[in-house]
Amino acid sequence: MVRLLALAFLIFLCPELSRAYDIVLISGGPALRSHERFKVNTHDRYWGNFVDSALARVKELRKEFGPDDKITWLVFRPGYIRRGIEEKQDYLKILEERGQLHGLTPIYFDDKEQLFTLLRRNGSPEKPLIARLEYYGHSNKKCWMFDYSNRVDGGAIEPLVVHVDDLENISGSSFTPNAMCVSYGCHSGEEFSQRWRMVVGRPMVGAVGKTDYSAGGMPKLSEGKGGSWVY
Amino acid sequence: MGVLISLFLLFSAADLCLARPLPTRDNGDQPTAPEPSTNTNAPAAPAGEPMAHPEPKEDEEVRKPVPEKVMRATLPAALTPARHGDTSGSYLIGQRTLVEDYCGWGWVRKEGESWNKGRWIAIEYDPKACPAPHSFLPRPGDDKDYLYKLYGEFAPYRAYEPQADVWVDVFLIRGFVSLGPAKDTIRRDPPHHGSSKPNRFAERGANVR
Repeated sequence: MVRLLALAFLIFLCPELSRAYDIVLISGGPALRSHERFKVNTHDRYWGNFVDSALARVKELRKEFGPDDKITWLVFRPGYIRRGIEEKQDYLKILEERGQLHGLTPIYFDDKEQLFTLLRRNGSPEKPLIARLEYYGHSNKKCWMFDYSNRVDGGAIEPLVVHVDDLENISGSSFTPNAMCVSYGCHSGEEFSQRWRMVVGRPMVGAVGKTDYSAGGMPKLSEGKGGSWVY
Repeated sequence: MGVLISLFLLFSAADLCLARPLPTRDNGDQPTAPEPSTNTNAPAAPAGEPMAHPEPKEDEEVRKPVPEKVMRATLPAALTPARHGDTSGSYLIGQRTLVEDYCGWGWVRKEGESWNKGRWIAIEYDPKACPAPHSFLPRPGDDKDYLYKLYGEFAPYRAYEPQADVWVDVFLIRGFVSLGPAKDTIRRDPPHHGSSKPNRFAERGANVR
């Protein structure tokens, strides 16, 4: 009885304790093999790098956060459609099946404007604040590239790139005060993380150097490059 | 003495010295049979039969294919169709240029302009309507330094080049005409910031697997 009273008192003092939060996982799209096949630094031999790594994280996140907290999985749809056409596979169906195994249904976005809309939160039960955000996909020190080497060889189309100059579209009020963000793309820690903290107002962990998805599961820093994770 | 020599030549080689009169307008309209050769060794054609083509002699030079043309015909780029897709309307001259780890297809310019005014482009294509020229080849770099007429238009958006942190123009290709190998390689760097020339950050790819 005393415990219940103490809990009610705490909720009265700090109403945020009673709310469920959102954990957002973002999966970018894979490159096309027709663009990458003969390159020295080839990318995405496997189509599902950014799907598998995001899903591998789900079990850990469920332990870390409360049972009421929701995991939202945002997936860049056009990249998987084009790669599926190239390899004559229905990758959307496959990734939906994999998501179901972890109790997740992908929410698709087709460009960065849609992503910004999905990240706009007001703390209501329909749009809970984001307590954690993680990005799995192609990036460099300046931006996230959802369709790297997909529509054009070796680059990404303008509406499908979140450049550091676009970060003003992401509001810090959509996040909890102690929210943590991580970018598992390459080189994010060299500039993107710092600009994120300055503009969005929440810390972001990013890699100095390249990240490597080749072992499956969570990405690691590429060996031999002297990389590190930084804020 | 000189006069004697001239007279001797005049009598001995009258055909050489005195040209036959040109046919007049009246008889020039009617086709005439070719004059028989003055070469007495040649076999005379029987009267009433058409003239047969002379057989090439053994010592006569036969035209052989130029090695350069043979090489061109066997290049992998010869697999590219001469014309493909919708080739109506305006076009740009494009030269395929490869820069390792750099976004894009190559240089384009307007017809008649020099390459100094060229623009670096990335090509976006619909595989069903018109694939990019190099997609017909075994390897994408097989048509390096080949010229094309590119039909299409520039996209309203640009492409991000991650190595040099610049934006490049996107060309939506509708069709192309292959013009064969270019005379020279374009020795000009694609767009880049002053501190980040192409290939400077070549190891900066995205995620490998």
